[in-house]
Amino acid sequence: MDLELLIINFPYFVSIILFSMGTLIVLTQPNLVKKVIGINIMESAIFLFFIIVGNIHGGVPPIFDPQFPDALYINPLPSCLMLTGIVVSFSVTAFALALIVKLYIYYGTISSPNFMRMK
Amino acid sequence: MDMDTLFRLPFLCVIGTLLVSFCMPVLARWKKDFCAPLATIFVGIVFGVTIIIGYYVMQGVIIRYYVSGWAPPWGIEIVVEPLSSLMMMLLSGICFLILIYSYHSIKHELERKVTGWYYTAFLLCLAGMMGLVITNDIFNMYVFIEVTGISAVALVAAKGTRDATEAALKYLLLATIGSGFILFGIGFIYMITGNLNLTFIAQELALVKDSYPFLLWTALSFFVVGFGVKAALFPLHLWLPDAHSSAPSASSAVLSSLVVKVYIIAFLKILLIAFGLEIFHETFIRHLILVLSVIAMLAGSFFAFVQIELKRRLAYSTVAQVGYVFLGIGLGTVWGMTAGILHIVVHAFMKTCLFLCAGAIYYQTGRKQVNQFAGMGYKMPITMGAFTVASFSMVGIPLFGGFISKYGLALGSLQADLPLLIIVIILSGLLNATYYFPIIGQAYFSQETTPEHDNHHDEKKFQKDQIPLSMIVPIVILALGIIYLGIFPGTVLEFIDRTVSLLL
Repeated sequence: MDLELLIINFPYFVSIILFSMGTLIVLTQPNLVKKVIGINIMESAIFLFFIIVGNIHGGVPPIFDPQFPDALYINPLPSCLMLTGIVVSFSVTAFALALIVKLYIYYGTISSPNFMRMK
Repeated sequence: MDMDTLFRLPFLCVIGTLLVSFCMPVLARWKKDFCAPLATIFVGIVFGVTIIIGYYVMQGVIIRYYVSGWAPPWGIEIVVEPLSSLMMMLLSGICFLILIYSYHSIKHELERKVTGWYYTAFLLCLAGMMGLVITNDIFNMYVFIEVTGISAVALVAAKGTRDATEAALKYLLLATIGSGFILFGIGFIYMITGNLNLTFIAQELALVKDSYPFLLWTALSFFVVGFGVKAALFPLHLWLPDAHSSAPSASSAVLSSLVVKVYIIAFLKILLIAFGLEIFHETFIRHLILVLSVIAMLAGSFFAFVQIELKRRLAYSTVAQVGYVFLGIGLGTVWGMTAGILHIVVHAFMKTCLFLCAGAIYYQTGRKQVNQFAGMGYKMPITMGAFTVASFSMVGIPLFGGFISKYGLALGSLQADLPLLIIVIILSGLLNATYYFPIIGQAYFSQETTPEHDNHHDEKKFQKDQIPLSMIVPIVILALGIIYLGIFPGTVLEFIDRTVSLLL
């Protein structure tokens, strides 16, 4: 195994680990707010992944500088796409929290394992 | 018609629906009763426009429109081939009928103050679905998936009862996991190819696919899981029964017949246009889909069989029917694909009809359980007649739409050298019969035994349905549509054939 390659690419591992953690939290935690936090961790992992994909080792920010006309720029597109992703994640979080408030009014608790039982 | 105008029409359908949806809450402040008619008229216009588009697409025109003039590798491209055009007609047509129906049923089932917001969510959902089927850009596809997903959750949550809120939260969390997986898959694709446009991805993948065998597998598996959650493929269907049974009937009809299906169309587009059938056959994703769909067809029917509440039974039946569509995709042959896509159309008619009938029965009698339907055929002859037609089609009796798609699936499994699957198809059809026929039998052949009416001499007399005309008309149109599809499937099949022959 080429250890150096692994070390250079460690952000990918971080992203995968965060994604798995987030999914696990959503599926296993009984507390509903923790589930929403899990969703956020999961989506952050995806944002991180996209940003690494756009990164080029040794690249500079993609702003044109006349002094270095042939500089190596990183790819800005994935970062821009993730702005949309962040907006989506934000609206899902807001919506989920609103629903949780409503459930709290009905049940008086936000950590019931009964919510997600199979019928 | 001027070609330039024609090319703008699909885009304008989506944007117009979005605009009207955001006018709804403003209108609701002023006149709550105007929301439903305005939405209905607008969607009717959109339906007319999609028929015009469909006419031109059948002449051989393929609409390619660059949003705000940016050419494909960078800009967003809209492509309307025969399949997209068929789906647009189906989406706006079914939504039009449901909106007509919703005028009275929403008044009956929802609080008055949420009416405006309900129609906002409804039109947003329609715009999201139409955008999803016409876009050729995978990130744009993701955005529309989220628009559809969030507004679909809002359609469930609109009822505001405890069950509906719980189901909506469950749906929201699982759907977000699903779209997270899809976004990760898009990330992998972007990593391999550096493109977001499906056509360009296909060109790039053909060059580099041998260098990244494992990454392709990973991307494809992420898509299968993501779209599987969204489209309720069997082990990932957990959110569906709650969400579809606790929503208002108009929402259940949209969710069950259209929302679940557009994700399959999106999956099909990514699978066939971007990856191509070769990769689909080489990786074992095809076998996975086949196994899961067979389990879905049988298990969904078994689960439906044990449900007592009518809408839950219909919701589990959707799980089984999604299995049919995925079976068609998994077969990978011409007939299999055609029948799978045809089943999307037929099932949209059947399930909408069934859910609207369930809503009509609830409207008139307040009954939800399947064991309370004795004598219903005499109290509501039109509704139960439509229910019977849709159930027969569900079982796959000839002359009804469901027969054609099941026959096509059987032909497809012969083409794919898997004749054993025919047994599964027949078995699943029989299971459908076991949970639909008791309802019909009870409705027509059993007496209501209430203590006051010991002598039922006046029970067996046909009465007219006591529901408003705006609820009867869509149900009757849908039932007639099912029979039409069963006898003359040619027009729809031609649309599908053209796409399938284009892609395979």
